[in-house]
Amino acid sequence: MERIIEQLPRFFTLDNMVLLAQSAGLTLAMTAMGCLIGFGLAFVLVYLRQTPGLWALPLRLVCIAYVEIFRRIPFIVVIYLVLFFIQTVTTDASLFTIAVIAICIYAVAYTADIIRGGIESVAQTQVEAATAMNFSRLRTMVTVVLPQAWPVIVPPAIAFAVSFIKDTALVSQIGVFELTFRGKELNNQGFSALLVFGTIAFCYFLMSFPLSMLGQYLEKRLGTPRGQRSARSIRNG
Amino acid sequence: MNYTFQYGVVWDNFDVLMEGAWLTFQLGVIAFGGGAIIGLVGAAIKTYGPRPLRLLVDTYVVFITNTPALIQIYFLYFGLPEVGLRWSNEACVLIGLILNAGAYLTMILRAGFLSVRKTELEAGQTLGFSLVQQIRYIIVPHIAKSVYPALANFFIVVLVMGTSIGALIGVDELTGQAINLSTINYRWLEYFSVVAALYVVLTFVASIGLALLGRWAFRVRARIF
Repeated sequence: MERIIEQLPRFFTLDNMVLLAQSAGLTLAMTAMGCLIGFGLAFVLVYLRQTPGLWALPLRLVCIAYVEIFRRIPFIVVIYLVLFFIQTVTTDASLFTIAVIAICIYAVAYTADIIRGGIESVAQTQVEAATAMNFSRLRTMVTVVLPQAWPVIVPPAIAFAVSFIKDTALVSQIGVFELTFRGKELNNQGFSALLVFGTIAFCYFLMSFPLSMLGQYLEKRLGTPRGQRSARSIRNG
Repeated sequence: MNYTFQYGVVWDNFDVLMEGAWLTFQLGVIAFGGGAIIGLVGAAIKTYGPRPLRLLVDTYVVFITNTPALIQIYFLYFGLPEVGLRWSNEACVLIGLILNAGAYLTMILRAGFLSVRKTELEAGQTLGFSLVQQIRYIIVPHIAKSVYPALANFFIVVLVMGTSIGALIGVDELTGQAINLSTINYRWLEYFSVVAALYVVLTFVASIGLALLGRWAFRVRARIF
C-alpha cells in the first residue's frame, strides 16, 4: 500500500496522462471505425440474406452461416486469424488496420442480427403496400422499411458498440498501442499493477459509462413503437 | 499469396487441442454457475432488498459491466501478488470471470424477477406456500420463461469470449493450447482455423444441450440457431 502512495506522484505526471489520453483515443477510434464499417456491411448482409427466390438460396445460406459461425468464435481467435492471414498477403499492413478489420468482421456478425430484428419488427403489410405500388425491393427497404426500423435498431446497436469498447482490450495482444497495452507497458516500467490497472479500468469506465447512459436514454426514448407509446405508459403508470 | 497450408502437425497434436477444449468447457460451466449464484442473489437484492444493499449491488454492476473483463483479470493476476495473495492462473481467470458474469447475470435475472407480479406471490401466500415453495413454483418458472433465451445466449458468451481471455495469462484452454502449439512450429493459420472450428462445434453442442434442457425443465421453446 505504501508502495502505491509512494508511486502516485511519479505515476500521475502530465506525460503519462497524455499517453493514456492518446491510447484512449486510439481505443475509441478503433471501435468507432470498426463498428461503423461493420454496421454498414451488416446492412448489406441482411439485405442479401433476404433476397427472395430459389436461385439465391446459396447466398442466403452463406449469409446465415457467416453470422452463426463468427458469433461462436472468440474475438482473440479472430484477431490472430486476421493477423496471420493478412501477413501472408501483405507484410506492410499496420497493426491498427488489422485490428479494425478484425473488429469489422466481428461487428458484422453481431449487428446483422440486431438489424434483422429491427427490419422484421416492421409490419409485413407495409412491405406489401409498397410492393403493390410497384416499389423495387431496394426502394422499399430504403424508403419504407428502414425509417420505421431505426428506432428498434439504434439502441441495441449503440449498446453493442459500447460493449465493444471493452472487448477491444484484447487487441493489445497483437501490439496495438491502445489503453490495455499502455497499461501493461506502465506495469512493466515498475509501477504497481493495482495502481496501473485500476487507472486503466477507470479510463474504460469514463468512456463506456456515459455512452451506455446515452444508449439507455435512447432506448427509453425510441424503444416503444409510436402506436404503443401511450399503452406502455398507461401500463407502467 | 504464396502460403502452403500444412494441417499435418495440427492432426498430430489434436489430442492436446481436445484437452484444451475440455478445459474451456469446464471453465465456462464453473464461471457461468458461479456467476449465476451471484446473479440470483444480486437480482433478488435489487428487487426485494433494502436500499443500502441495493446501492451496493448497483455499484458492483455498474463498475464491472463498464470495464473490460481482461483488465479485471489482469487486476487479479498482476495486482493481487502485491498484497500477498498468490493464486494460480486458472484461479485468477475463474474468479475474474465469475465476478464478471455475476454482474451481467444480475442484470439479466433482474428482468426475470420483475416479471413476477406481487399479486402472484400474495396468491401463493394465501394458499399457504412456504418461501421455498414460492421460489420453486412461482418465481423460478417465471424467470425461466422470461429470461431463458438471454441466459442461454450469455452462457455461449462466457464459454467463448470469457474463457479465451485465460489464454492471455497462460491458462492452457483451447486458445491457450493453440498459442502454445503454434509458437513451436509457426503454423498459426492452421492451428487457429482448426481451433475456430472446434469453438463452433463446442458452442453448437452447448446450444443444443441448453435448448433440450430448457424444453425438458422449463418447457421453454429455446432457439438453437
